[in-house]
Amino acid sequence: MDVSRKLSMVFVGVGGQGLMTAARVLAEAAVDSSTKALVAETHGLSQRGGSIEVHVRLGNVYSPLVPVGEAHVVLGFEMIEAARGVKYLARSGMLLTSETIMRPPLPGVRVPKRAEIESVFKSAGIRYYVVPARAIAEKVGSYMTENMVLLGALAGTGLLEGLVDMYRLRARISELPYADKNLAAFEEGLNTCRSTCGNL
Amino acid sequence: MYRLLGHAGTTELLMGNEAVARGFLEAGGGFASGYPGTPSTEVIEALADVAKEVGIYVEWSSNEKVAVEAAYGASLLGVRSMATMKHVGLNVAADALMSIAYTGVKGGMLIFVANDPSMWSSQNEQDDRYYGLMSYVPVLTPSDPQDAKDLTVLGMELSEKLSHPFLMVSTTRVSHTRAPVILGPLRPPRTKGTFAKSQGLALVPAVARQQREKLISKWEEIERLFSELESVNAVEGEGRRAIIAGGIAYQYVKEALDEVEVKDVKVLKLSTPVPLPKGLVTKLLSDVDEVLVVEELEPVIENQVKALVTDERLGIRVRGKDLVGLVGELTLSRVRKAVRAFLGLSYQEPQTYELKLDLPQRPPSFCPGCPHRATFYALRRAVNGLRIKAIYSGDIGCYSLGLYPPFGEQDIILEMGGSVGVANGLAQAVEGQVPIAIVGDSTFFHAAVPALINAIYNNAPMLVLVLDNRTTAMTGEQPDPGSGVRATGEPAEVVSIEEIAKGVGVREVVTFDPFDLRGATQKLMEALDYVVKERKPAVAVARKACALEAVRKARRMRVQIPLYQVVDDKCTACGICYNAFSCPAILVKDDKKAWIDPSLCTGCGVCADICPYKAIVKVVKEGKGWDEVWM
Ligand SMILES: Cc1ncc(C[n+]2csc(CCOP(=O)(O)OP(=O)(O)O)c2C)c(N)n1
Repeated sequence: MDVSRKLSMVFVGVGGQGLMTAARVLAEAAVDSSTKALVAETHGLSQRGGSIEVHVRLGNVYSPLVPVGEAHVVLGFEMIEAARGVKYLARSGMLLTSETIMRPPLPGVRVPKRAEIESVFKSAGIRYYVVPARAIAEKVGSYMTENMVLLGALAGTGLLEGLVDMYRLRARISELPYADKNLAAFEEGLNTCRSTCGNL
Repeated sequence: MYRLLGHAGTTELLMGNEAVARGFLEAGGGFASGYPGTPSTEVIEALADVAKEVGIYVEWSSNEKVAVEAAYGASLLGVRSMATMKHVGLNVAADALMSIAYTGVKGGMLIFVANDPSMWSSQNEQDDRYYGLMSYVPVLTPSDPQDAKDLTVLGMELSEKLSHPFLMVSTTRVSHTRAPVILGPLRPPRTKGTFAKSQGLALVPAVARQQREKLISKWEEIERLFSELESVNAVEGEGRRAIIAGGIAYQYVKEALDEVEVKDVKVLKLSTPVPLPKGLVTKLLSDVDEVLVVEELEPVIENQVKALVTDERLGIRVRGKDLVGLVGELTLSRVRKAVRAFLGLSYQEPQTYELKLDLPQRPPSFCPGCPHRATFYALRRAVNGLRIKAIYSGDIGCYSLGLYPPFGEQDIILEMGGSVGVANGLAQAVEGQVPIAIVGDSTFFHAAVPALINAIYNNAPMLVLVLDNRTTAMTGEQPDPGSGVRATGEPAEVVSIEEIAKGVGVREVVTFDPFDLRGATQKLMEALDYVVKERKPAVAVARKACALEAVRKARRMRVQIPLYQVVDDKCTACGICYNAFSCPAILVKDDKKAWIDPSLCTGCGVCADICPYKAIVKVVKEGKGWDEVWM
């Protein structure tokens, strides 16, 4: 494993979307691969349907938090949150996001559309990929596996190479309940990103 | 097997709080008590999970003061004990802490406190290391989960050796960070003992005066001992500049120094901020020109270092909060800036992307099916129905979210139990308004009961509305005295809120089911009417389980969860369900009509009641046992 490398990631989404499980599985697989891993989560109030952030850092790292503008990857579990999470993205970084959009339950709230969000990503010059995570999760048979589709997409970027052994990652996923569906979701996510993300 | 019970020598990814729990087991701890509070809660949760397996005693206490007193009681029997809480919990337990310092302990005793800089889940930002200085209780601060485990073991051992309580103070980024932890050997716990009378335990003034003398000499002994603890107070590097880093700050300093070329700087990782190990720090500073202290929250180390520099006439400049700043949690960029400024290096913020898009905020909100939403809806109806002007004296819990639109029914939120306490003053001095104290079940048991007694004793007309969702929901659904179950899963007596109210002399006590909106509104009107007409306190209890628990229980017991849907033809797009009721499961379509997301709906059915056009109907019927899962 590459000891001098650092990989900083921020997972963003809405409480209850399984960000923490995805981050934990990834970090456990990293530790199994003899890579240092730090996962920092925000708990408490944020669980109640609010925005949440989980910072995941691998390699030669000490700070549990990723500074603004330094994430190699921002992984969005929801598009509005992905847009909010862009502040963490390094200029060379990559934004992966689910196509899911969740309406904040506020009276009279205006919810931006997917096309609108994508167009600002484009005009800002961000390298991004919208993962059809919900569609894949439904195909696999459970919308609860969306987090594994996204973890698969992250693996599909190739950025984990040298830090996390893929077979160890699969082994950790297979410890989850509904292992079959979660693994299937992971593979689908990996394939969709592998064929697309490389060209971003 | 439980992750917490892994073999010695193996590496586990543990959260800082889990690491504390593991440390407790490695230290042979036998008694753990706590009161939930972010970011401290997982210590007791982790220990409760394995309590039966390892044969230790673990409890959720009714509040932090009781938790500390209970742990102290066990320690007097020779059992190694720990009490856990969040930073503000120690305010509640401070009275006990101050006295325990005087009597000392027998079995090792650790008080674990998690601070919450940046107030991710708290009402204030507070540095509990100050309590160490105030009470003469030594403080340990971990910098990461590995330290959290190791310092728990060390603290327990030193506490027992010195017969003195120890504080361990962590912060969010230690408590809630998962990191690899190398496990040590588990030690069989001691869980029972007998009480042996000893001098100094009964703090009447004559005894307390003697204990105070002893306390001061113990303090000097501890300071000397900390100066020799090179394993946890380690110095790295060489140079004529020094950085002292306490707690999590050490990790940020380490990464910040990794990134720069300058290497002529020594770093003291200080795990024992209170009392400052004077011998060690004097030696460190004897050959440097300047020192920077980096620590999260208050200048606890910095002020002690400044005093030392003056006392020892070291004549060097001490930098700290002037470069790091006081407010909010530390971050890598904050520490980088401070370290580079100290070293005379420039720093450039990384470039970020700017998005030209207005993003809607997403504050936390009541979950779909949360009974609190229904209670606030009914309360507004009752208040409007009676045309009274209410002052909503709020409290801390999920129901604090009643502050936000569309409800606006939390005018004041102070601290736990404050709702009823503050309403006492409001009630006595108000003109033309009615104080309504709004408090959760866990909070009621924690600190509201004495305030309710005061309301009876001094006759303060107010409505005390207890939102009893059978659990401590805000912090992740820990059982409380009204839940009928203990931390470790055994059934428990259900302490009745109504019986407490009646027992202290409340004459008007009503109970309602918040999902029955009409009944709830009626009961609330009845109780409010009593307060206004009789000018006496009344108690109303809204009873319905936390939706998260109810749904979980239904899934576990395979009870069919009902489903509601909007009949598109009947929906007039009035928006009452998604605006005035604001359930996150009810979404708005492009034509402004409502649509219920089946993956979010918990089947509570309150929206069907609220819809004036009867456009929301049940499409999947509930299974047998549905009502029971909500009790
Ligand atoms: C002194 C103190 N201890 C602990 C906490 C953490 N805390 C916040 S709200 C809460 C209790 C919530 O339970 P409850 O009153 O039953 O309301 P619910 O969240 O279930 O609606 C706790 C323990 C705190 N804020 N202050």
